[in-house]
Amino acid sequence: MTAYILNLLVLISIYAILSTTLNFIIGYAGIFSLAHAVFFGIGAYTSAFVAMNLTPSFFVAIPIAMAVAALTSLALALPALRVRGEYFVAASLGLQMLAVTLFSEWKGFTGGIGGVIGIPPVELFGFAVVKPWQFLVLTLACLGIVIVVIRRLVHTSFGRSLKSIRDSESAALASGKNITIIKTLSVVLSSALTALAGGLYAFYMAFINVESFMLATSVLVMAMVIIGGTGTILGPIVGATLLMLLPGALSYLSFLPQTEIGSIQQIIYGAAMVLLMIYRPGGIVSPKAGGGTA
Amino acid sequence: MNMPHVAHNTATAQPVAGQETLLKVRNLQMDFGGLKAIQDVSMDLRSGIVTTLVGPNGAGKTTLFNMITGHLKPTSGEVDWMGDSLLGMPPWKIARKGIARTFQDLRLFTHMTVEENVLTVMEQEGWLWQSGGVSAKVARREKVASILERTGLKDKAGVRAVDLAYAERKFLSMARIMATDARLWLLDEPASGLDPNSYGLFLELLRSEVANGITVCIIEHNLDIVVNISDRIAFLDQGRLLADGAPDEILNNPELAAIYFGER
Repeated sequence: MTAYILNLLVLISIYAILSTTLNFIIGYAGIFSLAHAVFFGIGAYTSAFVAMNLTPSFFVAIPIAMAVAALTSLALALPALRVRGEYFVAASLGLQMLAVTLFSEWKGFTGGIGGVIGIPPVELFGFAVVKPWQFLVLTLACLGIVIVVIRRLVHTSFGRSLKSIRDSESAALASGKNITIIKTLSVVLSSALTALAGGLYAFYMAFINVESFMLATSVLVMAMVIIGGTGTILGPIVGATLLMLLPGALSYLSFLPQTEIGSIQQIIYGAAMVLLMIYRPGGIVSPKAGGGTA
Repeated sequence: MNMPHVAHNTATAQPVAGQETLLKVRNLQMDFGGLKAIQDVSMDLRSGIVTTLVGPNGAGKTTLFNMITGHLKPTSGEVDWMGDSLLGMPPWKIARKGIARTFQDLRLFTHMTVEENVLTVMEQEGWLWQSGGVSAKVARREKVASILERTGLKDKAGVRAVDLAYAERKFLSMARIMATDARLWLLDEPASGLDPNSYGLFLELLRSEVANGITVCIIEHNLDIVVNISDRIAFLDQGRLLADGAPDEILNNPELAAIYFGER
């Protein structure tokens, strides 16, 4: 039971990093991306590659993964953010589809459909992080760092610029803000931090394949952000926790057909999002004044 | 119908000694498909005075603002700011050159606080952070506090723009433009819908800023405001500049009055 709970907590923490980083661009910059799982995947595959071919050191593998994700996101963001919001959604969806093909076919880097197996445990200062509770501490520490970084960012002039663009692009432009550069930077930062979650995931699972980085993951993370509450620090964490607990909670309801839990889960996600959009569009945790930090 | 000459006849203006021309618009044209929204408009905006754009709805006043500020690319013509062409320049660069604007529908940063709305306008220098360190940061905060005091929004500093009353939103729009270091303000119906008290404060603010050297071009339908603040008036109708001159000359022209009130 303890192992199950620890496993769940690690996964919740990793998904909380994903939802927090996606919320950074959705909630504060108004950029809706359907390619979040791509940068999660890039982080995971790059960390695994570095760990297996160079060193499993956290301080080498993770920064390299973050840099690769940042550069890849730059390639997406620079052209796509020059156009209106809905085009970015379409471009990100295109990138997601492209990435899944690449993840499935680039056997030398991703192991193809079979994925990468035997990823060594991550090392911190020469100490291998093997036990689940140790990994939980590492993941929680990383989540804490991501929260602090994003919380700091949204309270700087950069954060205010992002929020101004979210609220009115034309007024932000008229205020002298180069919205293309500012939005691009936000996507690059978000993608780099997402790669951190990818690296943690690869080291924790010791095995990764394309199944974890498909459109369904991008949609799941977006659901976490929207259900939890966009434009808040706490909302995405609440959303990640609820949606990660949902499958387990449903399996305890003995009257539900256990073979159909997956479908029931999808129905609940969909219904929850529709109801929230109608009755509480800000999500479970609504923003405080200033696009805030609830 | 004996209209004052259109377009480039700036000779009818009432030049005030020592005042330079900040912005020149020459033969500006804006076509939306078959619709000619702006047709061969030429005019000057001179420093330190208030030029009012008047005309019936759909005359092209806001379109002209959008072309000057880079939100719309003119079909043809020239926009010149103190010797530099603004054509093809993105709106954020034009704003940084010293041309600020408000919007008829305000376009406030609705989910940001009043203080943040004003502060963010002043933060143009860097993408990730501002130069000048703590002292510059303190100076910016002090400037925001002073602007909020002058616009009557001091007590609303922590309130989100979306939660403000109508007149307060109007003043926030003014506060935002006051926070810029722009020399030229383009104000799109800033006083529409204001109650008499707010209207008085608005006039006082505007006069004080003009006295401090701000050049203003204002779109306004309220003839009381037009009479009270204008140094020059430009009259637009159906995309054409029908007249550009001193307030008396324009306001006493029965032909223009007939057009304005839809009598022809």
